[in-house]
Amino acid sequence: MTELGRVYGVTPARFAADAVRLAVADAGLRLTDVDGLLTSSGMSGGISIDLQRDLGLTDLRLLSHLQAYGSTAGAMVQFASLAVQSGMASVVACVFADSPLQPERGAGAAYGTRRAPAGWWGLLGASGIIGANPMYALAARRHMERYGTTSEQLGHIAVAQRAWAAANPAAQLREPITLADHQASRWIVEPFHLLDCCLVSNGGIAVIVTSAERAAALAQPPVHVLGWAQCHLGHYLRRDPEFGLVTGAASAGHAALAMAGVSLTEVDVAELYDCYTFTVLVSLEDYGFCAKGEGGQFAASGVLRPGGKLAVNTGGGQLSGYYMWGMTPLSEAVIQARGQGGGRQADAHDIVLVSGNGGVLDHHSTLVLGSPATA
Amino acid sequence: MSVGPVERDEATAEFFDGTAAGQFLLRQCAEGHFSEPAAAACTTCGRTELAFIPAAGGATLVSWAVSYGRPAGDEPPARTVLVIGELDEGPWWWAQLEGWEPGADGAADGGLAVGQRLRVGFRRAAGEYEAVPVFVLA
Repeated sequence: MTELGRVYGVTPARFAADAVRLAVADAGLRLTDVDGLLTSSGMSGGISIDLQRDLGLTDLRLLSHLQAYGSTAGAMVQFASLAVQSGMASVVACVFADSPLQPERGAGAAYGTRRAPAGWWGLLGASGIIGANPMYALAARRHMERYGTTSEQLGHIAVAQRAWAAANPAAQLREPITLADHQASRWIVEPFHLLDCCLVSNGGIAVIVTSAERAAALAQPPVHVLGWAQCHLGHYLRRDPEFGLVTGAASAGHAALAMAGVSLTEVDVAELYDCYTFTVLVSLEDYGFCAKGEGGQFAASGVLRPGGKLAVNTGGGQLSGYYMWGMTPLSEAVIQARGQGGGRQADAHDIVLVSGNGGVLDHHSTLVLGSPATA
Repeated sequence: MSVGPVERDEATAEFFDGTAAGQFLLRQCAEGHFSEPAAAACTTCGRTELAFIPAAGGATLVSWAVSYGRPAGDEPPARTVLVIGELDEGPWWWAQLEGWEPGADGAADGGLAVGQRLRVGFRRAAGEYEAVPVFVLA
């Protein structure tokens, strides 16, 4: 991963190229070993299959640009794994980069899309539904009304993740916060306070997917891709009786664990997409870490804090660590599975669950990763 | 809070003809299924021949949120109440709610409940812009 956060003056394409170079070097490979490249981009775009040329890669056997929003990083690893399994490619670099932050502009400006003046999108904006904040707030309110979930319960997630972030040198926010701090932070879109919402970051992250045999001979402890699945609900902005209540994690989580041949109780670490505190809460329920509707009590029980029963978002996540879409949970999952988490390393880290979430809980990917011991 | 400016394009022209006449136009297939105004195919059966049919105008509250403007000086931030309404015909619509003010501490003060009855209304931003649907408490 490149330097992350308020890093200015670097284009998304340069972040992406740097991230691939860093990942290749980290693995103990050379750029000429890469024969597959999957690219993805965030709010600022600027990344395409032209990255091949920027990196000087020749004779690639796999090259594509993917966009499934927050589920993309997980999806890239899935497609890369399929390519390696089939023999289509042997070393696939998967990269995401973004640089939406500008000097002297707020983080909100980066993601608060300008009011589109025309058409259906213009109408949505004219109605006051601008960007993801109100959409997720409406999802969260529905959960609160149905199950009695509270803002304080969401706050426990923010507090726990900040405590994890304290031991992550790459995290943008490492100062501890209290539940009172969460409650006192200004409203963004009620029921979300500022501290319910993720950061905005510039930077790039890449991962390298290759065969287990090849990985065993490389520089880092290999992390095994044991299971995967996706779910794309298809109700975006439409009538959906389960909107805000159930996400694609419910079906994809089950399928990915079945593919990996592990049960939920065997999961040591969960790195969950956390664009909002609420996304963590509903994902915990959908995966089955607690019963549907009990995510609030589960979070408030303290189970998510460092030293708690379940290691969740151990790098601080997108709320306190860095916001690289699906690469945030994926990168921390790799660090944990390798046992390289330093002061935040989970004691047990053989099975790591990774979620990706995009749209308004519309697009989902799950990965089940294994430590070198699971080979 | 008032609605923002919006202009028509090819896809929304008929819908905005409707809002100008005080009608919220839904799409309806030959089977009688209703879909949201932007649907390209019936969301129930997939038929692509869809007529524009005015909704009766009644709806129920599905969810709500209160959007806060960026704080500026000592002025309290502007607040906008946003809701999802389920039209009586079935489709959902995301829009502003008029006629209800959150308390000083926000919507948690109470006053709104899922299932509450709403009616569709129309508001227009100052200037030469299209009429935008809003919900009002019935």
